[in-house]
Order: sequence, then C-alpha cells, then structure tokens
Amino acid sequence: MSAAGPPQGASCSPSGGSAAATAASVGAQTSAFSGILYDGRMALRVPVRIEARGADVVIDDGTATAHMSAAEIRADAPLPGVPRMLRLPGGETIETSDHAAVAALWPERSVVARAAFALESRWWPPLAGLTLTAALAAFIVIVLLPLAAEPVARRISPEIERSIGEHTLATLDRTVFKPSRLSEEERDEISDKFAAFVAGERGEEKYELVFRRASTPNAMALPGGLIVVTDEMVRAAGNDAELLAVLAHEIGHVRGRHAMRLVLQNSGIVVLVTALAGDAVGMTVLAAAVPTMLLQSRYSREFETEADDYALAHLKRHGVSPQAFADIMRRLEKEAAATHESDGVLRYLGSHPATEERIRRAESER
Amino acid sequence: MTDSPAQRSSTYRFAFTGTANDYFRIWAVSLPLSLLTLGIYSAWGKVRKRRYLYAHTRLDGSGFDYRAAPMAILKGRIIALTLFGGFAVGSHFLPAVQLAFFALLLLLTPWIVVASSRFNARNTAWRNVVFGFDGGLREAAKIFLGFGALALATFGLGFPYFRMRRARFIIERHRFGATPLKADLLAGGFIVAYLLAFLMLIGAAVLSMIATAIAFLMSRNVSGSGNGSPLVPLAVIYTAYIAVFAYVRARVGNLTLNGTIVGPLRCRSTLRARDLAWLYISNIVAIIVTLGLATPWVTIRMARYRARTLALEGEAQLATLAAATAPAGTATGSEVSDLFDVDVSL
Repeated sequence: MSAAGPPQGASCSPSGGSAAATAASVGAQTSAFSGILYDGRMALRVPVRIEARGADVVIDDGTATAHMSAAEIRADAPLPGVPRMLRLPGGETIETSDHAAVAALWPERSVVARAAFALESRWWPPLAGLTLTAALAAFIVIVLLPLAAEPVARRISPEIERSIGEHTLATLDRTVFKPSRLSEEERDEISDKFAAFVAGERGEEKYELVFRRASTPNAMALPGGLIVVTDEMVRAAGNDAELLAVLAHEIGHVRGRHAMRLVLQNSGIVVLVTALAGDAVGMTVLAAAVPTMLLQSRYSREFETEADDYALAHLKRHGVSPQAFADIMRRLEKEAAATHESDGVLRYLGSHPATEERIRRAESER
Repeated sequence: MTDSPAQRSSTYRFAFTGTANDYFRIWAVSLPLSLLTLGIYSAWGKVRKRRYLYAHTRLDGSGFDYRAAPMAILKGRIIALTLFGGFAVGSHFLPAVQLAFFALLLLLTPWIVVASSRFNARNTAWRNVVFGFDGGLREAAKIFLGFGALALATFGLGFPYFRMRRARFIIERHRFGATPLKADLLAGGFIVAYLLAFLMLIGAAVLSMIATAIAFLMSRNVSGSGNGSPLVPLAVIYTAYIAVFAYVRARVGNLTLNGTIVGPLRCRSTLRARDLAWLYISNIVAIIVTLGLATPWVTIRMARYRARTLALEGEAQLATLAAATAPAGTATGSEVSDLFDVDVSL
C-alpha cells in the first residue's frame, strides 16, 4: 500500500494537515466523500478521502495528501448504476459511488450526456421512447417506404432494371426452373398472342415472355418486364383466354413496377430492421428475419389486388371476358386441393388475396 | 484480496454486477434517439452501453473502464456504413460491383482487425492500467490473407489452423499495461474441436432429414392443408445447429482463453456447450416473443454467464501488474495513429 503514494504533480503534506485544514476552512463550501484511487502506474486499489473546499480539492490516502484545483479534475459522463470516474491531472483515476457529491462539484457540461443521463434515470422516457420507435418503424414501413419506392422505381433506368431482372432469372434458373418442354410451335403461338395482347399498351415498358418448367403452375413478373410462365401453367389453362388472363395479371405487375418496388421496399425494411436489431446478440439476429418475412407477404397482397384490377380492365379492353380470370383461378384452386401440395400451387395462391374474393371480383366485372 | 505471504496460488474470479433494469433504460433511450438522429446518436449510445457493461464486469473488486470517445466511434461507423452500404447496394444492381466490394473488404480485413483491436485496447482500462495492442499490418495480412487463403485452398481443412493462428495473433499482440499477453495454443486442440463439430453437423443434417420425413408423413395423414407442419422440422433443424454452434463456441472459447497468459497469471474458462445452447435458444425465443424488448436482458445474462465462467489463476497478486512506462502509441509514431484511431464496426 505504501507504494501508492499521493498523486503526482501535487503538493504533499502529512496526513494530519488535512484535518487541520478542514477545520480552518470557514465560509467556503465543503464536501467530502470517499473513493478508490488508481494511480495509473500499478494495478493497485488505494482507498482515499476527497475533500472539496470551494475550488480546492484535497485527496487523502491516509498517509499523505495532495492538493489540486477542482477545475483540473474531469469527471466522466454520468451513467445510471455506474460508479463515477474522476480523472486527475497527473493521470490518476478516482472511482467513487458518491454520485451526488460528484454531480454537485463537477456538473456535466455536455448537453448530450446530461440529457441522456436524465432520460435513462427514469422509467417513463425509455418506455415512451420505445413506443415512439415502434410507431416510427411502423410509419416508415407502412407509409414511407411504399410511398418512396414507387417514384424511385419509376426513375431507375430500364437497362438497370432489365439487368436486375435477368440476374434474378439466372438465379431462378439455377435453383427452381428447368428448361421448358413446350414445342417451339406452341411457344411461338403463345408469344405471338402475347405480343398482340401488349401491342396496344401505352407506356415505354418492354415485355418479354419466357417459358420455363417447374413443378407447379406459376407465372411471375420480374423487374424489367420479364414475364415467366411455367409449362404447368400453360397446361393448367383451359383455353387461350385463361392463359391471357394470367398474363394480363403479370402485365399489371410490370406496369406497376411491382417487382422493383418490392426489391426497394424490402431493402428498406432490411436496413431498418438491421438498424433496430443491431444490438441483438449473436445468433438472435435470426429473430429479425421473422417480421421481415411477415411484412413481405403484406406488400405482395396489395400488389396482387392492383395487378388484378389492371388485368380485369385489360381483358375487357381486348374483348376477353373477365370470366376467364375467374375460371383459371377456380381451376388452380381445384388443382391445389387435389394435389395436396402445400408448397407450389398453394403458395402461388397463398401470397394472393383470398381466392374466393378475387373470383367474385372478376365475375362482377363481366 | 488476501494478504497471502509469498507464493500461494490465488484465484481471481470475474463477476458481473449489472442489472437488466438499469441496462434496459440505457438501451431503450439509445434506440429511439439513434433512429431520430439517423444513427448519429448510436455512437453515444454504444459508448454508454459498453461503459455500463464494462464497469459491471468486475475482477477483484474493480470494474473495467471503457473510455472511447463517441466521435471516434461515429467516424468508424461512417466508414463501415460506406463499405457495407456500398456492398449491399452494389450487389443488388451489378454482380461485378459485388465482386469488387468483396475483394476490397477482404483486402481491408487486416486493417480493420488491427485498427479495431488497437482502438478497443487503448480505450479499455482496469484499475487505470490501460490495455494495448501492438499488432502490425504486415503480420495481420499474413494471418488473415495468407492463412485465410490456405484454409480456403484446402477446402476448410486448414481452417482450424487458421483459427489457432488468428487467436494467437490477437492474444499475443495484446498487453495489459506493461505485461504482454502470451498464448499457449496448440493446433491439435482446434483441429479436434472443429472435426467433432463437423461430425455433429453431419449428425444434425441427418436428424433434420428425419424430422422433415416425419413431418411429411404426418401431414399426409391429416387431411387439409399442412400449413403448420413445416415449422416442426424447422425448429428441430435450428435447435440442432444452435447446439453445434454452442459446442464450437464453448470448446474453442475455452481452448483460447485457457491458453491466455497474463504475466504470472493464467486465464481459466469453464464455458459449457449445454449452458450456451440453452442460453442461445432461450434468448432467441425471448427476443421473438417480446418483439425485441428482451434484447437488454439477453445482453446482461450473457455477460453474467461469461463472467461467471472466467477466472485468473496464478502465484502472483494482480496489484503487482504495472502500467506501460511510455504512453501507448508514441513508439509506433503518431502519423499512423490517426489511421488506426477508429473502431470500424456497425
């Protein structure tokens, strides 16, 4: 213990002098508290008593005292439940649990630290803050992102959008799609009908129909006007009108830039979730994936309704009865029920609004 | 601290004294403020949260002291955000950009490790004795790019050796004041640990296949949509993988820490795989069920477990450990210190 000595750079006097000085100081505000001094040279704990008389501070370790001015001492920003640290000019640190004494002698100068401490010391600000966070996050996800995604999606150059679409298709080709087994004539026939179907469309969208084989009837619109239709969907359609109804729905997705908007919105959600869950420990980040997935299905439902509206109007414009749309929906639903497959067809329908409701809407448009 | 005469072995246990109540408030103030200030406050929030956790991680009656300036953290976050943000945006649009960023990130790894280690060491003290990290860029490049490439080239066979060299580099370039840390690590232990983990992973894969098969068979018997059934095998798979992950964490963590020597003292770590697996799984459940509100509680209980399983042993008093005589950083030159004075992390 004797190795510790008084802090450097301070005048020393025998311990007895400290008590005498305390008695002598009249008028000036005096406060005293205890702490532990770490001298910064050895990992030693030295219990000390700190006395402040006005602007002067006396530190007494039982064998010697050190004098310094209070202005030379810096106190760490306060934190609830954490001892205060006083940094002395000689590089020593004093740890003390006397928060009141430190707060009175060295009021926190930084506005940020003062505000943070005040908020953290009570229960209502953090609780109100969390409520605010939840509300803000919901506002961003439900209102702001969809609102921002649309104009941004429309401003993305067609070349970039197309390259994203092709990139996505390449990934799907590697994972789920196989080359189409439809005959060339069959494909050409459908492509010709599709070309005639979109010929009169206003707007600068470029459409391209591609054929792939998968395990289930499916059709999707990728960024850049790429529309994929599976052999199984072509087979499932009872007639041309029904296939056109499915394609009209996908054209609706292309016109609404839904694929691009979905990519942008999801990116926004990922950024937000990462920002909020940034603290989550290690593997618990996995938990962040759940709300993201839930939100994704919400978005697609809105887009499906929009695409349906477009499809029905488009069919009528081309002299095809919206009944064809209702028919194919019913057919797909029946197939889903028959095959018992929870994956393919059901998922195609599952991300869509309730099938019954869609059929009803199509039939009311007749 | 006992006034033990001369050379008697003493054990210094770590303890964590923080409470979820206190930490929750610090966390819950930081979150909305960070969001409202577009992430700027997150640097202050990080410092406050870390200060709380460090101060309550106590060894022989004294807490650790985290001294980083929020400004330096903010700087590091801006660098990291530019890097990772560019990576994320680039990968969406152009595969070539993605590749370039990946290469850049890989090349930057040695610098990121050295800069962050230096920053964190310099800003951490115990009893006012400041830690230090003196690892150089060249050595870091050799470990992370050289041995990292070796691990890749050997299809993972060299991975345990890479992890051992990495741990040795990180430990041996650290010092507590004037006391350099020593690493007593052998590749053998790492190889056995990862080999067993690999075998367990295969076991987990088989288990998950069985679980999927059972779920499939059950869904066929029950009429109607089998919507709920995929969740069961998924839970089994995740649990199995978390168990393997916990095993690696416990085993490699113990190997690394038990081989860490601080002057006359040696670390003793008693992490257990089943404890960690239970902590991980219950943490995930707690976070999902509370929509993230349990995050601070999770942090606290992990810190408590880590501290409880760690001790220092040896025939010397902690108080005899001295600070570095020269202020850290002067030897390596101040011109590079700016380049290293960041904590590059999100």
